[in-house]
Amino acid sequence: MPETINIEVVYALPERQELIRLRLHEGATVQQAIESSGLLQKYPDLDPGKGNKVGVFAKLTKLDAELRDRDRVEIYRPLIADPKEVRRKRAEEGKVMKKGDGDE
Amino acid sequence: MLSALLVMTGIALVLGAALGFAAIHFKVEGDPLVEKIDSILPQTQCGQCGFPGCRPYADAIAQGEADINQCPPGGDEGVRKLADLLGREYKPLNEEHGVEKPKSVAFIDEQTCIGCTLCIQACPVDAIVGAAKQMHTIVASECTGCELCLAPCPVDCISMEPIAETVENWKWRYPVIEIKRAA
Repeated sequence: MPETINIEVVYALPERQELIRLRLHEGATVQQAIESSGLLQKYPDLDPGKGNKVGVFAKLTKLDAELRDRDRVEIYRPLIADPKEVRRKRAEEGKVMKKGDGDE
Repeated sequence: MLSALLVMTGIALVLGAALGFAAIHFKVEGDPLVEKIDSILPQTQCGQCGFPGCRPYADAIAQGEADINQCPPGGDEGVRKLADLLGREYKPLNEEHGVEKPKSVAFIDEQTCIGCTLCIQACPVDAIVGAAKQMHTIVASECTGCELCLAPCPVDCISMEPIAETVENWKWRYPVIEIKRAA
C-alpha cells in the first residue's frame, strides 16, 4: 500500500472545468481533498456538503468519507430543470422517453 | 583437443550469459506492434470499429482479424498511417462503421438535464461529472467525442460541439502528393 494516494478533485462548469490532481496522505477524507484543492478560494460560492453535494466517481458520498488511491472527488451543482417538469413537457410533445429514464 | 573443448564451452557460457541477461533486461511486454497500432488510433474508445475499444481493435489488426479502415474518428489520415506502418495498401474508410466527422466534444444543455446518470454509465473515459439528481457536466479536456453518451440520454440534452482549430490543437496534416498521370 502506498503511503500517499493520488486524488483528483473536479468541479465542472459548462464552459470551464477544474481538474486538480493532488497527492494526499493515506486515509485522507473528501473534505480534506476539497480543502487542499484550493477550489474553495477560487470559487467562494462553493458550499460542499450543503449547497453542493460531493461524491466519488458519480456516487454521492459524505464529506468525512475516506478516500482510496486514484479516486476522483467530484463537487456537484444542483439541477436547474425539474425532472418531473421536463418529463411532463416531453410527454406533451409526444416524445417517447427511452428505457431507463429515472432518477437513478 | 582439450583446448578446443574449453574454448567451445567458454563461448557457450559467455553467449548463454549474454542471452540470459538480454532476456531479463530487454524484456518486451506484450506485442510491440500492437503498441504502435494503438498509438495511431485516436483513443476515443467509441467502439465504432466493432471492438470494445481502441486497444482490442489494435490487437485485432495485429492478428489480421480486422481491416485497417474501420476507425471513423481516426479518419483518412489514420488509415494512411496504419497502411504505412503495416506495409499494406491504403483503402478508403469503410462506410459501414461510420463517416469521418470534425473532432467534437459533447455538451450538456443544463436547462434540460434531469440528472439521471445514464450518460455517465455510458462514458468510456469518465469525462462526465455528476451523480443522481445532480447536474451533469462534461469535462471537455477528457471527452474524446465518441458520442456514446448521446443515445442513452432520455431527454436528448447532449449535443456535439465541434472543436474550433486553435494554435494549441493544430496538427500537421498528412501530405497529399498528387501523382501526375503519364501523358
